[in-house]
Amino acid sequence: MDERYWNRALETMPRSDLESLQLSRINSALARAAHEKHYRKRLPDRLESLEDVITLPFTKKQDLRNGFPDGFLSVPLEDIVRLHSSSGTTGRATVVYHTRGDIDNWSELVARSMYMTGVRKGDVFQNMMGYGLFTGGLGLHYGSEKLGSLTIPASSGNSKRQIKLMQDFGTTAIHITPSYALHLYTIFEEEGIDPRQDLKLRIAFLGAEPYTEETRKKIESLYGMRAFNSYGLSEMNGPGVAFECEEQNGMHLWEDSYLLEIIDPATGEVLEDGHEGELVLTTLQREGMPIIRYRTGDIATVYTGTCPCGRTHRRISRIKGRSDDMLIIKGVNIYPMQVEKVLMGIPEIGHNYLIEIENVEYLDTMRIKVEVVQEIFHGNIGELERLKRRIVEELKNEILIRPQVILVEPNSLPKSEGKAVRVVDHREKR
Amino acid sequence: MASQVTVFVENKPGRISRIARILGDEGINIRAITISDMGEYGLINIISNDPEGAAEALSNDGFSVSRKYVIAIIMEDRPGGLADITEYLHSNGINLSNAYGFILQQRDRAVLILEVDDYERAEGLIRKGGFHTLTMEELHNL
Repeated sequence: MDERYWNRALETMPRSDLESLQLSRINSALARAAHEKHYRKRLPDRLESLEDVITLPFTKKQDLRNGFPDGFLSVPLEDIVRLHSSSGTTGRATVVYHTRGDIDNWSELVARSMYMTGVRKGDVFQNMMGYGLFTGGLGLHYGSEKLGSLTIPASSGNSKRQIKLMQDFGTTAIHITPSYALHLYTIFEEEGIDPRQDLKLRIAFLGAEPYTEETRKKIESLYGMRAFNSYGLSEMNGPGVAFECEEQNGMHLWEDSYLLEIIDPATGEVLEDGHEGELVLTTLQREGMPIIRYRTGDIATVYTGTCPCGRTHRRISRIKGRSDDMLIIKGVNIYPMQVEKVLMGIPEIGHNYLIEIENVEYLDTMRIKVEVVQEIFHGNIGELERLKRRIVEELKNEILIRPQVILVEPNSLPKSEGKAVRVVDHREKR
Repeated sequence: MASQVTVFVENKPGRISRIARILGDEGINIRAITISDMGEYGLINIISNDPEGAAEALSNDGFSVSRKYVIAIIMEDRPGGLADITEYLHSNGINLSNAYGFILQQRDRAVLILEVDDYERAEGLIRKGGFHTLTMEELHNL
C-alpha cells in the first residue's frame, strides 16, 4: 500500500493521460445515456475530442424533476441496488439510482478522499451526518469501511451521545457540518470537556453548507484537529466529488470520475480556469444513471497551477454561492418554493406569512411567522396550537428540517410583493 | 348566557395597556380580565358592560377578536362554592375550558365565569341544579 496515495496511478496521472481517460469514459457514458428516456436521440454517439463536450446539452434540476421517476434510468430497474431521493411531499422529487458498480465506484472515491486527508486503517471515524436518504451518511460510511477505518454510524444530532461515543471509542476522525461543530463545542464547554486534551480527534471533514476560512481555523483551534473542506451533491453521488488534500488549499475534484466545466450562468458559455462561474459536472463512470453536463447551481473557481501534493486533478475553490435561490439550512438544501407550496396548501395561512432564517447558538433555525387574521381566529387555543403543529409537520415532511412557527398579530408582517416568496435570511456569513 | 370578548395578542410589552386604553376611551367598563398565556402569544378574555362595542373597537384597531358565550353564575362567596358547581357539571359530562371569577363585595357574592364545551346543555343543567345564572344584561349591569 502506497503510504501517500490511495491510488497513486490515478491521482498523479499526467494531464494528457487523464484527458484521454476522460474522453474514453465520456464516450462510454454517452453510450449508456442513450438508453435514458431523457437523453434519447439528443446525444451524439461519440465525441472525437473533449472540446466537443460543449455540443452536448446541459441538464438542469428541473429536468430531473420532470423525469421523475425513471426518465434518467439507464439500466433495468432490477440492476439498481440503491436509490437516493430528495424530499418532496409537494411537487416532484428527484431520484438518483445506483448499480452495485456505482456504489463501489462512489465508495472508492470517498476512500481515496479520506485517505488523502490522512485517515488510515487504524482510525476511528464517527460519521455525524444524517443517514437515510441523505447521501452524506451512507456516502462517507461506505467509503470509510472500504478504507478500513472503524466506522461509527452516529448520524447527526443528539450531542451528548456524540460526545460519549467519542469518549468511549476514541474517535479520531469525524464528518460534520461546520455549524454543528461550533454548536457541539458549546456542549463540550457545558460538560467541562476540552476536546484538545480529553479526546483523540485528529481530522474533520466539513461540508454540506458554506463557511469561511476563519470558521475553519476556529474549528481547528477549538478541537485541536485539522479540518478539511469537502464538496459533493447527490446528483453526482454525494460526498466524494471534491476534497482538500493536506495542503488545505482548494479541493481536488476527481476528474477520472467527473468532467469538470465552469460556465457563465447567464449565457452558458464555458469559462477558463481562474474565472468564477457555475460548476457543470458530467458523470464519467456512473452506470445506473449517467448525467450529462449537470448545472449544479454552485458558483466556484477552478484553480490554475499544480498542487504541491502531486495530484494532477484540478482544485476548485470553496463554493461562493448559488446561481439560484436555493438555501442551505442545517446542511439541508431547501428551495423557498418548497416552503411556499406547503404553506399555500394550508388555507388558514393565506398570504400572511414570513419566512425567517436565523442562527441561534451556531445552529440554523427556520422560523415561519403566520398572522392570526380575523377569519381564522375563534378564540380557541386548541385550534391555534393545532394549526401550528400542522404547519410544522407538513413542512418537516417536505423540507426535512423542523421549523419554528410563531403566531403574530394581523398586519404585523411586511406585505408580500408580487409572487416572490418572502424569505429573510438574518444569518451572517459564518 | 353572557358574552366574553377574546383578543389575540403577541407576547409584546404594552398589549394589555393598549387594549385597556381603547376600551377606556370608548367608555367601556371592564368587569373581569384574564390571560391565557401560551408563551409567544396569549389570548386575553374580557367581560365588559358592552361586549359588542368592545369587540368592534378592538377590531377597528387591528386586533383579531372573537366573541364567545360564557356562563355567568352568581353565587354565595363561600368556601366550597366553586367545588359544588364544578363537581355538578363534571358529573354531567360537561367540560370546562376556562373558569375565572370575581367578587361582588357589597352583596357578599361572587360571579363565576365558565367557558364550557356544550353551552345549551350546560345552561339547562345549571338551572336544573339550582344554580343561578346571570343574563347578559344582568352581568353587564353589575
